[in-house]
This record gives sequence, C-alpha cells and structure tokens, in this order.
Amino acid sequence: MKKFLILLIPLSIFIYSAGENKCGSLEKCDYYSADVHDTYSLQRGLGIYMNYCSTCHTLELLRWNRLQRDLDIPETILIEDLIANPDIKIADYMTFGLPEVSAIGAPDLTLRTRVRGEDWIYTYLRTFYEDPEQLTGTNNLVYPGTSMPNILVGLQGIQTLDNDGTIKLKSEGSLSRAEFDDSMKDLVNFLAYASEPARITREKNGIFVILFFIIFTAVMWLLYREYAKEIK
Amino acid sequence: MSEKENSKSFMSSMMSWIDRRFPVTENLERHLTKHPVPKKVNFYYLFGALLMVVFMIQVITGIWLMMFYTNTEEGAFASIEYIMRDVEYGWLMRYMHSTGASAFFFLMYFHMFRGLLYGSYQKPKELVWLFGCFLLFLLMAEGFLGYVLPWGQMSYWAANVILSLFGAIPYIGPDLQVWIQGDFVLSGITLSRFFALHVVVVPLLMIALVVFHIFALHEVGAGNPEGVDIEKHRDAKGMPLDGAPFHPYKTFSALPAMGIFFIVFFAIVFFAPTGGGYLIEKPNFEEANFLKTPDHIAPVWYYAPFYSILRAVTFGIPFLGITSKFLGFIIFAASIAILFVVPWLDRSNVQSIRYKGIYSKIAMILFASSFITLGYLGTKPVNELRTLIAQICTIFYFAPFILMPIYTKYEKTLEVPERL
Ligand code: HEM
Repeated sequence: MKKFLILLIPLSIFIYSAGENKCGSLEKCDYYSADVHDTYSLQRGLGIYMNYCSTCHTLELLRWNRLQRDLDIPETILIEDLIANPDIKIADYMTFGLPEVSAIGAPDLTLRTRVRGEDWIYTYLRTFYEDPEQLTGTNNLVYPGTSMPNILVGLQGIQTLDNDGTIKLKSEGSLSRAEFDDSMKDLVNFLAYASEPARITREKNGIFVILFFIIFTAVMWLLYREYAKEIK
Repeated sequence: MSEKENSKSFMSSMMSWIDRRFPVTENLERHLTKHPVPKKVNFYYLFGALLMVVFMIQVITGIWLMMFYTNTEEGAFASIEYIMRDVEYGWLMRYMHSTGASAFFFLMYFHMFRGLLYGSYQKPKELVWLFGCFLLFLLMAEGFLGYVLPWGQMSYWAANVILSLFGAIPYIGPDLQVWIQGDFVLSGITLSRFFALHVVVVPLLMIALVVFHIFALHEVGAGNPEGVDIEKHRDAKGMPLDGAPFHPYKTFSALPAMGIFFIVFFAIVFFAPTGGGYLIEKPNFEEANFLKTPDHIAPVWYYAPFYSILRAVTFGIPFLGITSKFLGFIIFAASIAILFVVPWLDRSNVQSIRYKGIYSKIAMILFASSFITLGYLGTKPVNELRTLIAQICTIFYFAPFILMPIYTKYEKTLEVPERL
C-alpha cells in the first residue's frame, strides 16, 4: 500500500504527456535564454528591430530615453537616426507613429516575449517557409497560419518545407545560417530587454543582496550558537 | 550620585510611570523575556516566525505598490507596467510582493504540516489551531483577490472560474455571483471592490487573527516534536526545567533561519521572479480580454492541490439537483473545512507522530503524497488518466482525516518520555 502511494508521485510525472510543451507544429522550441547584459548585442538587436519590425509593431511601453540610457546610445544618434522626427520627444514611447490598432493585426511587442517565452520567439523567427496557400506566401512552423509576412527572407534566404516536415534552404540570403541565428539571438535579447528593462539591474545587483544575506546568516548563526551553549 | 546611576534611575522611574498607565514591562516579560519555550525543537518550529516576516514583507511592499497602482479596468494593467518600468525600484517591490505570496503559502503549508505531524492542535492548543485555519482561509482569499489586481488574462479568467463556482450554487447562485461581482460579468467594478478587500478588509482580519493566534499560543505554551509537557517539571523559580526564555533563545534561533529564508527568497526575486511561469503566469503579461479565453487556465501553484480536487469531481447528484460543478465546489470547500475539526478527530493519547502508531504514519504519508500529486495535477490540463489519479488522491486526501477517530483510538502508541 505504502509503496503504491510513493509510486504515485513519479507516476504523475510520467503521465506528463508530450504535447503540452509543444511549440506550434514542432515538438519543442529550440532552447534559447536571452542575455540582456551584452550591450552591443542589444544595440544590434535594436538595429534589426528598427529596420524590419518597427514598420508594423509598436513598443508602446518603452520610452526612447530609457532605451538611450540602457543601451548607451549617443544623443545625436538617438534623435537624428533613430527617432528621426522632430515632433517626437525623447520621453515618448516607441510607437513609430503607427496606429494603435494595426491594420494587419500586428500586436504591440513590448510584452510579447514574456507572454510567449524567449524560446518561442527565437524559434518562430527562424521557421518561416514558402507556402503558396497563404496570403503572405509564407507560413510558419511555430505559429501555423500567421499573418506576419517573412520580412527576414532577405537575410535568411528562402526556406521550403520538405514532405517529412523539416525545413530546407532553397536559396541563400545575405547571411549564413550561423550568422542569421546569431542575429536572431540579438533580436530576442533586445525584445527580452524591452519586455523588462529592469532585468539589467535586477540580474546585475541581485548577487550583492544575496551575498549580504549569506554574511548575515553566518554572523547570526555564530551568535545563535553562543546562546545555544548556555541552555545545553 | 554618579551620572550613570542618575540616568538609570531616571529611566526606571520613567518606565514605572509608563507601566502604571500602560503595562509595557509586564507584557515584555510575559511574551518575551520570561515566556518559557521548549529548549529542544526542530526546524519545523521556525516557520511561524518566518510567516510573520513574510507577512511584514507583504504589508510593506503592498503599501508601496498601492501608491502607484490604479484600480480601474482601463488603468490597472498599465499601472503595473508603470510600476515595473518607471517607478524607482517598483520592479523590486512588485517581485517581492508576488514572490512573497508564494513564500507565504509555502511556509504556511509546512507550518501546518508540522501541526499535523506533532499533534500541535491537541488539547489545549485547539484555538491556536483554529485561528491558524482561519488564517489559511483568509490567506487563500487574499491571494485570490490580489491575483485579480494586475488585470492580466490569467487574472481575469482564473477569477471567472472561481466566481462561477458561486454561480453554480442552486437557486441563489446566479444572483449571488452578480452580487459578488457587482456586475453581470467580471468587470472594473469587481476589480475595484476586490482592491478594497485585498488591501484593507482581509489584511486587517489577518492581523487580528495573528494576534489571537500568538496570544492563544502564549497562554497555553508552545509544543515540541516529542510531545513532552514541559510544564510538569519546574525549577525553584517556576521556570520549566526543559524550557528557556523566549528572548534571547528563541529570537536568536529565528535570526539565522531568517537569513536562510532571505537567501532563497531574494534568489527567486532577482533571478527567477516568474518562476518559469509558476509564480507569475505567462498569460498574465497580456491584458485581460473578455473575448479571448486562454487555451489553458491554470491556477498558481499554491491553489493547484485544491483546484485538482475541484476538477476531480466529474459527477453530480442529479436527483438532488446537484450539478458536478456544485458538488466539486462542496468537496473543495470540505477539503479546507475538514482542517478546522482536526483537533476533535484525533483521539490519540500521545501528540507526536514519533510516538503514534503505524496507521498514523501511513495516514501522514498518504496525505502528504496525495497533496503533492494533486498539486502537480492541478497545473496540468485534464485527461482521463489524470482525472482518475486526481480522484484517487482526493480520497487519499480525505481518508486520513475521516478515519482519524478510529485509527488514533485503537492503534498502539509508544511511551512518551517524561523530559525533553
Ligand atoms: C499568517 C499566518 C500565520 C502566522 C503568522 C503564524 C505564526 C505562528 C507563530 C509565530 C507560531 C509560534 C512559532 C512556531 O511554532 O512556529 C505559531 C505556532 C502555531 N501555529 Fe501558526 N501562524 C500562521 C498560520 C497558521 C496556520 C494556518 C495554522 C494551522 C491551521 C497554524 C497553526 C499553528 C499551531 C498549531 C502552532 C503551535 C505549535 C506548537 O507550539 O506546538 N498557524 N504560529
């Protein structure tokens, strides 16, 4: 009886059927955990965002001057190259003059990375393939039927879906496969930053708080031991 | 007279002036410097102190959050992101508050399990236990109300699931649900009343109950894992031989425990505040949308065992007009209510599991493993096998309590030593 019960716990882990971790039509997303401490990577990510994503997607919770501070962007570059619009102030949100509700249903991207997960975004961006049945001419393995066109095709090249469900490169883009993957990592890093700008300070300074409490615990432990001796 | 003596007598005459009007010294002695606690207890006896620490964290961070939070349908979600982005250290306050909620439940479950293991609810500590059970109930309400406030998708839809349980009560249900919501659907009106309950009503009740809990405990004296009555053997001054004054012995044992707690707590706050979606769920980073139901509605981990019990009831009692949903609600409520009567279910002549018989030990293993399994299942979507396991575990959750009067009365117990 007792053994049977103890069995229940591992058993319930086995019945964890595949399918819940599913990544769209894929079994699993490619693992990626964003790094927000590489400022150059964040800047490169911002570059890709400005060139390819900002035509449709707003970042309505991120302010230009916050971006400037966190990514070490010189003021002239921010104002002349990035904002490039005298009507927009640096404390404004990064909405790129887009309408609040996108015509083709492109969502605001400030928090999407936290909703979907970094793995999901990283995999999604890399699994577009040609599909003439779609309005956009492309489809996606992670998000089948997505209405987002494959705007990165120039970098990645054209991908097609084989009969066995794997993706093949049909024609080369301007980047090699490894370079493209790295660029997507930059982009995901940037998106992860945008979804939580405080993450930079959070992950950087947490260790000091924990060190403080390790010392605190050690001192208190010694103190406690002295008192405990008295009542032995 | 030297200066030192002078100031001393000033201090003591000051104290006696106050003491005549407000019993400071008396209470300090009664609850701290002269209050005897058992010399030898184990780590389980530190969770109560940690619960007080977490309660304070919640109150302080909560006040900070309240300064910036907007309790309206239009403003709530955005104000949370405002706190996360624009308020100095707002993110820290929020993560401490959200992690604190999980820590509260985690400690609470261990604190209560200690009570079950060592019979801490037994005579004369029934009221200590009872006040504790009310605290569990209030904490569950507090957590539920607070979870609605960020107005994310999961806030909205999880609250809908719970509110619809009230709607499932026969006859009065639908009206009751509308009365609670203040609207025909879960809306901004519900949000702002939940805000009032979350920040004022429930915390006030909790503070009162914590005070009752501690006063009742200090009246009857704290227990120990052996179940030895330390009051029996006293020294000439009346101090129990196996006891030591609460301060400094208990206070200084709580400090390293607090240190360890804070290490774990801040490791989560700084490095895994969302706990992989278990502490802050992913869909909650999307604003509530009453047109779009999430694919999978899961409660936060600390409600998962109870949610599993709720879902395990897949049948009703049609000829009594009881739907499966309502029966689920009843059994879910019973799973908490049964804790209140535990002091009167235990007929054992010993307190601690160490001296109880084999059936009590099996019962504890049954209870703990089914609670954990139910918790696991509660976070997963249902399928047939899982429902079956949840049903078995629900029976195993209740059985240790329902059968308690029988097995504790007839099982063979061991002799409890005289001294600690
Ligand atoms: C806000 C929540 C609570 C707080 C702040 C709290 C605080 C405490 C503290 C400080 C102690 C003394 C130290 C210790 O034994 O750990 C204690 C003891 C106790 N608590 Fe709680 N408690 C809470 C909830 C509960 C709950 C939910 C229960 C059970 C239903 C409970 C049952 C007990 C019992 C039985 C004792 C006496 C243990 C003994 O001395 O043998 N408490 N509590």
